[in-house]
Amino acid sequence: MEHPILFISFILERLGLPVPHGLVGDTVLAKLVSPHMTYTWLVMLFLILVPKLTLGKMTLVPGKGQNFWEVIIGGLEGFMADNMGKEGAKMMFPMLATFALYILVANMIGLMPGFMSPTSNLNITLACTLIVFFTTHILGVKFHGAGYIKHFLGPIPWLIPLMFPIELISHFARILSLSIRLFGNIMAKETLLGILFMLAGAYFAPLPILCLGVFVSIVQALVFLLLSILYFSAAMEHAH
Amino acid sequence: MSGDRKEVVKLLAEFSTIGMSVAFSIFIGVGIGYFLDHKVFAGRTSPWLTLIFLGFGVAAAFKNLYLMSRRKDL
Repeated sequence: MEHPILFISFILERLGLPVPHGLVGDTVLAKLVSPHMTYTWLVMLFLILVPKLTLGKMTLVPGKGQNFWEVIIGGLEGFMADNMGKEGAKMMFPMLATFALYILVANMIGLMPGFMSPTSNLNITLACTLIVFFTTHILGVKFHGAGYIKHFLGPIPWLIPLMFPIELISHFARILSLSIRLFGNIMAKETLLGILFMLAGAYFAPLPILCLGVFVSIVQALVFLLLSILYFSAAMEHAH
Repeated sequence: MSGDRKEVVKLLAEFSTIGMSVAFSIFIGVGIGYFLDHKVFAGRTSPWLTLIFLGFGVAAAFKNLYLMSRRKDL
């Protein structure tokens, strides 16, 4: 179920582009103009343009815009430094802050009529999760070299044939749980809002769900950030 | 956020993964076993690898639960 009107899809359809009516189109062009792609680009544009416009000139005594962004970036960095140490936070900050801001804006944008959350499509969240998953293991190999395999073998040598598949399975379960949690929460929000707008939109029925939607959006963005931080720091520390 | 609140939020995020990680571990175990049975060995070993990997999946789920329950910082 989708929002009744998606204004970017509407404009693109008027321009003659093959906007798919399902979730994902058949041809490459239809895939490129499907709603979750166009709204991802909208979020990217938002995240590039709005800081450029509001930041102004960087000064020693921050003005209004600079103060706002300094609070957000400083808060994110402090949050990461608390959980993975100063060094790790410094190294992983660009990637994780990008994820946090992108997911937050992408979740929130669906609350407005005419917009849609790109994160309510499993492809988007799965892409984010796969990036986190591979980065975890690249970090592990970078920090421990070939000794990273010890993370998968457990403490007791003769239990290795049992522990190895178990550890592999629990690592793959991370991909599913991270992506499906975000996707499920946001899709539930979008679907519920759509149904309530359709049933009793004139009587402000979606209003409580809109308030809950703000909460869910922030919590899910934070949870994604926190869990990727935990996975990264687990890959960086020594096997127990 | 104050220190206490932050700790609570962190624990909530961590422990909200328990249910899903149990379910997904079992499903991934069955999935790997099914793939080995029907795609790699073309049904000759069916249904034994599915059952064995179902066991691995359940073991992985309970291992995660066990590790969570033995955390020292709670």
